[in-house]
Amino acid sequence: MIAIQTADVDIGQLINEAKQRGTGAIVVFDGVVRDDDIREMELEAYEEVALKELEKIAEEARTLHNLCSVDIIHRIGRLSVGENILIIVVSAGHRKEAYEGSRFIIEAIKAGVPIWKKELTKDGSRWVPGEHAHGSGRSKR
Amino acid sequence: MTVKVRFFARFRELFGGDIITDVPEGASFMGMIKEIAGMNREGYDAIFDDTGAFREFVILMKNGKRIDCANAVQTPVADGDEIAVFPPVAGG
Repeated sequence: MIAIQTADVDIGQLINEAKQRGTGAIVVFDGVVRDDDIREMELEAYEEVALKELEKIAEEARTLHNLCSVDIIHRIGRLSVGENILIIVVSAGHRKEAYEGSRFIIEAIKAGVPIWKKELTKDGSRWVPGEHAHGSGRSKR
Repeated sequence: MTVKVRFFARFRELFGGDIITDVPEGASFMGMIKEIAGMNREGYDAIFDDTGAFREFVILMKNGKRIDCANAVQTPVADGDEIAVFPPVAGG
């Protein structure tokens, strides 16, 4: 399952479904809204493009790390502290592939998938700066 | 010809989201964005620097594919194109 959605997901069900033939390890990444003195977080995506990019990342991870299954669910909309933002479930024959595949996916998402977060505080709001400030303008230098 | 320009995150707040615009044949990607951005001084300054170049962090897409700033000057837009302009991503 690769999705961008407002609803939460049943992680237990994803784990059960990840137990495919040949599976020896499952790694779950669950990114949650951290209590950074905020009230809520609002997430926005360029949905059509972001979904295609998540599908591409999943396929690359499957091939590069020999994964049996990949699920990526990125939530959008308004979320409270402690709620799930991003759930990645990967299964593989062995732990090394599962860990590396999961790490590959989260780093690829952070590097380029068009999704943004805005923190809502008691005093107002602020956009979360991206970790990779790699705009198109860089090429002019 | 008609082109759809989409702004996201902070840029969406400044420009109000999607803009459908009529542009003349042969219009360039950069020229079109400059014209739209020119309608909002704060928005223009968020996207372009003092020399009129795209700010380093600005990301551009044409029909879902990233394009470099250097190519934005020469790249023509075509009828039905979807152009996206946004700040660095912060998902995950």
